Amino acid sequence: MDPIFSPDAIEAWAKSVGIFQLMNTQWGWPIAEIIHFLGLCLLIATVGMFDLRMMGVAPGVSMNALHKLVPFGVAGYAMCAITGFMFIVTAPGQYLYNPAIQTKLTLMAIAGVNVAVFYLTTARAVASLGPDDSAPTHARLIGFISLACWLGVITAGRLVTFFRPPEFWCLWCVAG
Amino acid sequence: MIELFAAIEQTPFSIFMREDFYAYFIALIFHSIGMALLIGGGILLSLRFMGLAAAAKLERFAGFFPVMWVGAGLAIVSGLALLAAYPAKALTNPVFGLKFACLIAASIILWRIERRYFTADAQPLPQSARILAAIALALWLGGVVFGKLLLHTSTMLMVS
Repeated sequence: MDPIFSPDAIEAWAKSVGIFQLMNTQWGWPIAEIIHFLGLCLLIATVGMFDLRMMGVAPGVSMNALHKLVPFGVAGYAMCAITGFMFIVTAPGQYLYNPAIQTKLTLMAIAGVNVAVFYLTTARAVASLGPDDSAPTHARLIGFISLACWLGVITAGRLVTFFRPPEFWCLWCVAG
Repeated sequence: MIELFAAIEQTPFSIFMREDFYAYFIALIFHSIGMALLIGGGILLSLRFMGLAAAAKLERFAGFFPVMWVGAGLAIVSGLALLAAYPAKALTNPVFGLKFACLIAASIILWRIERRYFTADAQPLPQSARILAAIALALWLGGVVFGKLLLHTSTMLMVS
């Protein structure tokens, strides 16, 4: 049994605040899915393309100028995080013990550490580069890790319905 | 037309796409990655043409075209495989036409802006080009919306 999460309690909470009812209206779930996909597009369009630029794609495009579009990616991330949270709390049993979701959240955590490392160590050096300069090796690596994580997030997201219950994956659960 | 869909659905490839344990999911994954690269690049170009990140040289954004071409290739090949699985379900749904209208129109607009303005002396872009770019942005996003809606709006399913 699960010592950390209680799917029933999470679902009861979602009902108490109305998310469950909203998501179970005729268009609630599809609209949340659409917002989730639009958010991913904004993320790949700005953060993903910035990653590619750091990796060496499109030389001549100023990384400093391109970075000004990252707020669109942050907005996209927020759209995905909010709708993703709504999916999970509405049907926790479908998601918590799903290896695709577990992988997806792990990749998001790696991307989070990666972006923190970027802003703490390399962002200033990258911002000072001219349009035709190449990013330093560690910035290229950070860009690659970021893009790989986000494409992995998309892949894992697509696999969620592949591991529907009765699939049950729970490394943190205890016997009994 | 329905007879043609039914015939396609009985081909070995169509049956394989539906019944193989992995085939449909693998095609879906490649479709998502391909669309992310194509539409991601499209959104980026649209934002730049609208006047954002104006300090970045316009014509150098051509460097993102190969990314979009790879994305388009992945999306088209995987899309044909997905279509082969359920042709009647997709092609009897008007939303399918809307998705294609959006994506093709967005591509044409970006292509025309690129043809006309990807020279170093054409900047800043005139108001008309910026408005067209905003329309292209809306069309890229519309392609995603209708693509996602396909799942929820089909009315004809002849095979399962």
